[in-house]
Amino acid sequence: MTRTNHFLIGFAISSLLRRGSKSFFTFFVFSALISLLSSMLFISSSIKKELFITLESLPQITVQQFQAGRHTNIELSRVDKLLKINGVQSAIPRVWGYYYFEKAGVNFSVIGIDQFDKQYKESFERVVQSVDFDELFKNSSMVVGEGVKRVLTQNYYKNYFNFIKPSGEFKKIDIASTFVSSTSLSSNDTILMPKELVLEIFGMNAKRATDIVLKVANPDEIPTVVTKIRNLFPDSRVITNSDLRASYQNIFDYKSGLFLALFIISTFTFFMIIYDRASGVSSEEKREVGVLKALGWRIDDVLKLKFYEAFALSSVSFLTGVTTALFFVYTFQAPILRDVFMGYSRLKPAFDLPFVFDFQTLFLLFLLTIPLYIAAIIIPSWRVASMSADEVMR
Amino acid sequence: MIECKNLTKIFKDTTVLNQVNFTCKKGELIVLKGASGSGKSTLLSLIAGLAKPTSGEVIVEAKQISKMADNFVSLYRRENIGFIFQKYNLISTLSVYNNIITPLIPSNPDEKKLNTRVDELLKMLFMESKKDMIVKNLSGGEQQRVVIARALINNPSIIIADEPTANLDTKLSLDFIEIVKKLKNKNRAIIIATHDPLFFDLDFCDRVVEMRDGRCF
Repeated sequence: MTRTNHFLIGFAISSLLRRGSKSFFTFFVFSALISLLSSMLFISSSIKKELFITLESLPQITVQQFQAGRHTNIELSRVDKLLKINGVQSAIPRVWGYYYFEKAGVNFSVIGIDQFDKQYKESFERVVQSVDFDELFKNSSMVVGEGVKRVLTQNYYKNYFNFIKPSGEFKKIDIASTFVSSTSLSSNDTILMPKELVLEIFGMNAKRATDIVLKVANPDEIPTVVTKIRNLFPDSRVITNSDLRASYQNIFDYKSGLFLALFIISTFTFFMIIYDRASGVSSEEKREVGVLKALGWRIDDVLKLKFYEAFALSSVSFLTGVTTALFFVYTFQAPILRDVFMGYSRLKPAFDLPFVFDFQTLFLLFLLTIPLYIAAIIIPSWRVASMSADEVMR
Repeated sequence: MIECKNLTKIFKDTTVLNQVNFTCKKGELIVLKGASGSGKSTLLSLIAGLAKPTSGEVIVEAKQISKMADNFVSLYRRENIGFIFQKYNLISTLSVYNNIITPLIPSNPDEKKLNTRVDELLKMLFMESKKDMIVKNLSGGEQQRVVIARALINNPSIIIADEPTANLDTKLSLDFIEIVKKLKNKNRAIIIATHDPLFFDLDFCDRVVEMRDGRCF
């Protein structure tokens, strides 16, 4: 069995230390690149996880009404007709909308709850079981997600909020309690209140709902049910859970910075290669290779040395970059960078990034950067080592 | 042991060596003398396999060094040659110890044996106390002794020295000559290129070869 050549490894490390400033510069740039890219991957994985949990809790089918090519509130009379379609288990009209909180700079979803209806979300069902919505109506109160409560406390009054109705009048609603959802994205975005209050705040017709959500007993029947709804109500838009998933994915893939990440990978890697190519082998390093060859080192010995140097430097930089990124994203919640990803921040306010360690993507990043860097170091060294010792030292 | 046949080396348009024939046997000490540019250093480089001749052959123990592939020549140098360079060619930011062991690093030597050998050499060269010093902090004479130790670390059968005393004072030069004498007594082939008259009248020198215009006389 071949013994590990500790002398060669030691020599490689001492070479890096002897060229301190150059090694440090490379380490700094490399670590920064890896840190940035890893942060993007971590943020993107976390948001993806959060979004998919959210999507899981979305209704199987959502029916909206369209008029003149625009979304309009749907007639409640359609609920009964929808329930008559074979396979439809439930049809729940929803009254909801976005309300813009100017001072906080965010939109929250304001959702109307009828406590006698079956709720389409488990977290809402839990709220309905613990809160009396009749009482809420009587007291003009609401239940808010924990994140919403935080934003309201920071920017407005602690115990109530004055909504502005379409007529310009204020509607004071007290905060009765807060709730926690399975996804922080949802609990940071949602305000629940009696349906009647939502109708009043948004100035909606009581005979209409924002949309109707359906539950189908057998998910395989969803396409058939969708076709039947379209035939029954030609002015409707029918959105399935998988449509939403695809559209979220498309928006996410673009907004999450996948495009940006690719751009930065290319730019930085290119920068590294250019730097190393341009500097090539410095005259001092060239002379050193000549001396080593004159002392009996073969080309492969020199290449092994350069490999160890490049591998040690790039691996340490990689690990530093990934560790920094983990702290940056999960301990400090990725300040600044997360705004690049949260293109929908006007709709979805801040939430904690759930921890996701995407080993595969990190491994891909490792393969895209380290071998490339090693090659950029070894190729010019190989050129020098292939020359005769006399010529190199001359 | 070493045989050079009709060696010619041309750099660009300059003929540095012209049909040189040269031999050196085991245990022989040969001094090459001649003015700067006479071809001494080039001849030493060709014998050590640091460069290839334009024409002619270098044969060492029946092996044609001049025709060998680069990797084999490197191995030949590592195992057989101890080269004392005029410009030292030390790695100035490394310690004395690390410079001395550099030729043997690729062979992954036994650390204990290596340390014993380094200590022996440092003792012989009166450099024991400088073992861990960084080479760039040493005087010229001390650096020269590090070069000698490095050349001897692999126990070479051939020792080649290019102007070994160029940077030494008379006392250190005489010390070096003593080392050469010891090595000759150990049956090593030694070739020294020098201007230093101290070498020309050595009683243990086998031959003084004069070089002029790329030829041996």
